[in-house]
This record gives sequence, C-alpha cells and structure tokens, in this order.
Amino acid sequence: MSQFFTQYFNFDVMREHFGEVLVGFLQNLLVFAVAALLALTWGLVLALLRQLPGKKLMPIRFVTIAYIDFFRAVPILIIILMISGGVPFLSFLPQEVRIPHWFGRPDPFWYGVAALVIVYGAFTAEVYRAGIEAVPKGQMEAARSLGMSHFQAMRHVVVPQGVTKIPAPMLNELISLLKDTTLISVIALSESVLVSREVLSERLNSSSLTLTAIFFVIIILPLARVVDKLIARQQLKITRGSHIEVA
Amino acid sequence: MAESMLSLKGIQKRFGDLAVLKGVDIDIAKGEVICILGPSGSGKSTLLRCVNLLAPPEEGEIFVEGHDICKGPGSGAGEQSWQLDYVRQRVGIVFQQFNLFSHKTALENVTLAQEKVLGRSKAEARAKATELLERVGLGDQLGQYPETLSGGQQQRVAIARALAMEPHVMLFDEVTSALDPELVKEVLDTMRELAEEGMTMMVVTHEIGFAREVADRVIFMDGGVIVEEGPPAEVLENPKEERTKQFLGLVLDR
Repeated sequence: MSQFFTQYFNFDVMREHFGEVLVGFLQNLLVFAVAALLALTWGLVLALLRQLPGKKLMPIRFVTIAYIDFFRAVPILIIILMISGGVPFLSFLPQEVRIPHWFGRPDPFWYGVAALVIVYGAFTAEVYRAGIEAVPKGQMEAARSLGMSHFQAMRHVVVPQGVTKIPAPMLNELISLLKDTTLISVIALSESVLVSREVLSERLNSSSLTLTAIFFVIIILPLARVVDKLIARQQLKITRGSHIEVA
Repeated sequence: MAESMLSLKGIQKRFGDLAVLKGVDIDIAKGEVICILGPSGSGKSTLLRCVNLLAPPEEGEIFVEGHDICKGPGSGAGEQSWQLDYVRQRVGIVFQQFNLFSHKTALENVTLAQEKVLGRSKAEARAKATELLERVGLGDQLGQYPETLSGGQQQRVAIARALAMEPHVMLFDEVTSALDPELVKEVLDTMRELAEEGMTMMVVTHEIGFAREVADRVIFMDGGVIVEEGPPAEVLENPKEERTKQFLGLVLDR
C-alpha cells in the first residue's frame, strides 16, 4: 500500500517537475482553444449542410450524414496516427501544409488539432442539430412565408434560437475535447501526458501523472458545475414556458 | 367581374397515401373576402399552405395576379425559385400558432423580413413597423417579447408582420383557434378593419359570425372538395347540401 502511495503521490517528484508538467498542460490548453474554436465552427457548418432542404441537395445531406457517422465511429487515436503518418506524404499538397509549422507550433500540434477538429466537428454537429430541431417548425415556416431564403431563416431565426437550447450538452463535448488533447502525446507533442511519462521513465515514479490529472480536475470540475447550472436553468425555462402557454 | 387576384384550378394534394385535396377550384377577385368553413381534416389549411407554396400541390394550377406559380413545381418549400419569390412578395399568411420569432421583440418581429428581404433601411423598417403595430393597437408594446404578450396580442403582431411586406392577398389559417374566447374579438376586429380597407383575404375559420358579417363569399369544404359556395346569407342561412346543414347544425348549436 505504501509502495503504491510513493509511486503515485511522491510530493517531491511533483514539486521538482511541477514547472515542466505545467508547461505541458498549457500546451493542452492551447490545443484545446484552437481546436474548440474550429470544431464549433465546423460543427455548425456540418449541421447546416445536414439541414439543407429539397430533393436536389440530397447528395450533400447524404455525404454530410456519412461524414458525421463515420468520424463518430472511428477512434480519435487512429485518426491522429493516420493524419500524422499520411499527410506528410500527400505530395500534391504544398510543403507548408504537409508539414505545418504555423505560428511557431510544431507539426504534431497541427496534426493533432486537425484530428480533433475533424472528429469533434462531427460530435458538435449532432449537438447543433438537436438545438436546431428543438426549434418549432412554425418558426422556419413563418420566416419562409415572409420571403426569407432557407439560409436567411436559419441565420436570423432558427440558429439563434437553437443555440440557446444547447449550452449544456455543448459544454460536455468541450470537456471531452479538452481531455482528448492528451491523445496527441502519441505523435510526440510535448503536452502534459508525454512530459509526465518522460518524468516517469527518468525518475521511475508516476507522481507526475497524478499531477497532470490534478491539473485537469482543477480546470474541468468548475465546468461540470456550470453544466449543472445550465441544465437547471433550462429546466426552469421549460416549466415556465409551458406555464405561459397554458395561461 | 372584377380583376382576378387569385385563381386555383384543379388543386390536388396528397400526403403519402392520403389524398387531402381532390381537385379544388376557386377564383378570388381583387378586394374579395372569402371565408372557408369545414370540419377538421377537410383540407382547408392545406389549401392555404398550397397557395403560398409551403406545401406545393401535386396537381393543378395556381394563378396569382395572372401568373401561374406552379409551373415546373420543384420539390417545394425548400427551394428558392422565382415562383417562391413571386408568391411570397404578394401573399402573406397568418398562422394558428402565431409563430412569432420568440427571440425578437414585437418591433423586431415586424422589421426583420423588411430589412433582410425587401432591403429596407433600419429606420424605414422601424417606421413602417411602428405604424403597423399602432394600427393593430399595440403601439405601447413595441419592446415586448412574444412570451410576455397575450395570445391575442401575439396574433396581432403576426398580422402586422405579414402586412409589413405589403402583400396583395392575405391568408388566415384558423388564426383565432388557439386563443382564449375573450381574446378572439380583438383579432377579428383587426381582420374586419383590414377587409374594410379593401384587402383581398382568404380566411379559414370556425367563426361563423365573422363569416356572416365580413365575407363576400363563403366556401364549405369537406373531404378535400368544395361542397357548397355562395354569399354568406345563402350558404349559412339556407344551405342546399346535406353535409353543410349537418356541419352548421353542429357548429351553431354550441
């Protein structure tokens, strides 16, 4: 038991490597910030493509649904490995895309961001879809009957109402995204888990991993409480709303 | 015969195996007010949704001010085509469930499409919206969100919203059916004023009193066809058809 304790809770190891692990964790946060921004945008684009009306646009809807289903099914780890292993050899792409070093970040950073955006775009698209579909059909009809195009109706009427219904599930996706940034350690991005494992092999002690876990908990726990608050507020709105309907 | 505003010929509409409209012909002259009565499921609402192409008919022709808007019907409500633009610039609709944009104030509900569709400036749209909302008696509610308005007020905002697009024909789809009894009158009064100003109107309603008073012509529908039509005095007081008598008996007994 005490062996377990010294292996995972050696405070000397934590203290001595605190700086390195923290720098690694900041790398996680940076990947998260970039990937979250792009995934939220890409997911909305996918959700809108999925909602395109009419028979003519069926192929676009079909391809979008296939994309969403596929990337929700494949493990992210595989996507990360395929991108970092494959993209450098796509000779038709320019050098700075095959091996990107944009904004002073190494190529594993961008391969990881790409993989997370591709996958989390699919997940957030489903959340947006739930929000869009929760807006009563009459809203779209009213907008169209006033002469707005499908896109105008989406832009000004449906999406603004839809997104107010989904902050809680969206935040859950973002929490999950933040944790999945650690997967990029497999392609040698010096983020917190990779740094911790280097400490592990150097000191033969796992406390750096515990420290990393603590960092994640500190960031994510408050977010989880925010999710609870949002859900409670949404429930209140629903009950209040139905009360107004009746009154 | 006055100038034709709206002309429906042989309209047929089905939802899957269910034939909802089985060949409907109606001519509406400019300035005419038509009330359509009939039991639920008779196809009245579907007919209105056909006219503004929210649910385009499978068969038949619809002429709005002489132009056939069903020529080469596409897959319908989703597609943008000259027919859709043409119809929606000329035909306004008010729904049973109001369908006000719930994230917008009364004023914004009325300005949104003016700005985005007609390209009016903010100030222009605002002026028009204020004038219309005052006209329907809501000049003091401009900044209210739909959820704080009563059903009758919401429906009057919806009427103002449709009028802001300066339609030539207005369709009313059971606009008082979702209202509490004491709120029905304010909405009907607004519609009555509109009729007096000469608006061409196609009104699906269960308000027999309104039909008797305001309609130039009453149409009774059942099972997807027109059973009987004529001046309100004739159709409502001396119906010829057995189905009409039955229906009016049930409605007026209440």
